Amino acid sequence: MGAALTYTEAELVTGLKARNEKFFGYLYDHYSPALYGIALKVVVDETLAGDVLQEIFLKIWRGIDRYDTDKGRLFTWMVNIARNTAIDTLRSKGHKLGQKVQEIGNNSLIVDQLAVYPSVDHLGLAKVVEQLNKEQRVIIDLAYYKGCTQDEISKILDIPLGTVKTRMRNAIIQLRNILKQM
Amino acid sequence: MDVQRYISSGIIENHVIGLVSEAENREMEVAIQQHPEVKAAVDAAQQDLEKYVMMMAQKPPVHLKKQILERLKQDAGAAEPAIPVTQPVAIDEEIPVIDYTPRTPISPLKIWQYGAAAAFTLLVASAVMNIAYYTKYNDSQSQYASLQSSQDSFAAEKDTLSAQLHRAQEELTLMKDPAFKWIKMLGTPRHQGNVATICWDPQSKATFILAQKLPEPPPDMQYQLWAIVNGKCIDAGVFSTGEQATSMQKVKDVVNAQAFAVTLEKKGGSPTPTLDQMFVAGKVAG
Repeated sequence: MGAALTYTEAELVTGLKARNEKFFGYLYDHYSPALYGIALKVVVDETLAGDVLQEIFLKIWRGIDRYDTDKGRLFTWMVNIARNTAIDTLRSKGHKLGQKVQEIGNNSLIVDQLAVYPSVDHLGLAKVVEQLNKEQRVIIDLAYYKGCTQDEISKILDIPLGTVKTRMRNAIIQLRNILKQM
Repeated sequence: MDVQRYISSGIIENHVIGLVSEAENREMEVAIQQHPEVKAAVDAAQQDLEKYVMMMAQKPPVHLKKQILERLKQDAGAAEPAIPVTQPVAIDEEIPVIDYTPRTPISPLKIWQYGAAAAFTLLVASAVMNIAYYTKYNDSQSQYASLQSSQDSFAAEKDTLSAQLHRAQEELTLMKDPAFKWIKMLGTPRHQGNVATICWDPQSKATFILAQKLPEPPPDMQYQLWAIVNGKCIDAGVFSTGEQATSMQKVKDVVNAQAFAVTLEKKGGSPTPTLDQMFVAGKVAG
C-alpha cells in the first residue's frame, strides 16, 4: 500500500481539513478496505457494514478539524473511529454475548473470508491464523472487535477474571512475534 | 515509577486493545507524557495491532464509494456547525468587511435608481387608479341620472295618485254628508238606459254630477246640466264625459231646484236648453 501513496500524511491532513473532495476520494481509495474490514469483523452483516462505513466517513469528514497530529497518526485516529462506530452499531442492535462468541469462535469465517475476498495482506493473515492459536485470536477479537469487557471475556471463555489480562498480554506478544518474523 | 516494570506489566497491551479501566487509562495518559519509553512502547503495540487490523482489510462493495462521497458532499453544508467555535468567529469577522466595502460607494446611485423605480411604479399605479375611478364616476353619473328620472316619474305618479285620492276622499265626504241630496236622473224615452246622478246641498248650493252612463258626444258638442226652478231651465254648467265621468264633477251652484236635466249642446254650453236633445232628467225628492 505504501507504494501507492502520493501524499504525505501531513499533506493529506491539510487537504482533508480544507474539506477538499479530491482528498476524501484519495482517503477512501486507500483506507476504506481497512475501515470496512473493521466494520465487517464487528457487525458481520455486509449491508450493515456498508452503512457503518458510510457513518465512519461522515465522522471523519465532520471531525477532521478535531484531529490533532501531535496526538497520533491519522490512521490510528481513523481506526479508533471505525472501531467505536462499529461497536456502537453492534450495541444498538442489541447483540447478545452468545452471538459474539459464535461469530468470533467461528474459525471457518476467517478461512471463508480468505477464500472469497482478496485481502490486502492475505499471506500475512494466513500466517497469523496458522501461528496464533484459536484461544489467543478469540481473546484479541472479543476485546478489539466486539468491545467486550474483562468481565464479559471472563464469562465467555470461562476463565478467572484475574487471568484475562495476562492471557491478553500473551496473545498480543505472540501476535507481535509473528509480525516480527514477516 | 519503575518504567520497565510498568511496560512489562501487560498494561500497555491491554490499554491498546481497550481492556483497561478509566482510572488505568488516565494513569497511562500521564505515563505517556512523562516517559518517552512508555510512549514508544504504546506506539509499537498500537502499530502491531494496526498491522493485524490491516490483515483483516476487505474491499468494500464498489457502489459504496460513489454513495459515500455523495453523502459527504451533501453534508458539506451541514458540516459547518461542527467546526470548532474559533473558526466561525473568524468567518463572522471577515464577511462584514467584504460585504461592507462595496456597499458604501454603490449606495447613492442605488438610492436614486430605487427612488426612480418607485416613483415610476407610483405614477403607473396612479394612472391606473385614475382611469378606474373615472370609469366608476361615469357609471355613477349615469346611474344617478336614471335614478333621478325614475324618482321624477315616481313623484309625478305620486302627485297623480294623491290627486285621485283627494278626489275620492271628497266624493266620500259628499256621500257621507247627510246635507247632500242624491237625485238620480234616468234616460228620457228617446235615450233609454242612460243614467246620471246629481249630488246637491240645498243649503250650501254646492252641486256635483256623476255621469254614470252617457253616450260619448260628438267632438264639437258637450253635455250641459240644467236646474229646473219654478218651470224655468237655469244653466248649471257644462261637464265632461269619458275619463272624467267616472268621478264627481263640480258644476255651478244651484238654488231651489225642483228637478235637473242634461241636454247635449254645442261646445261651451248654450243659454237655453235644446229640449229635443234631453238625455236624462230627474226630480228632486220631497
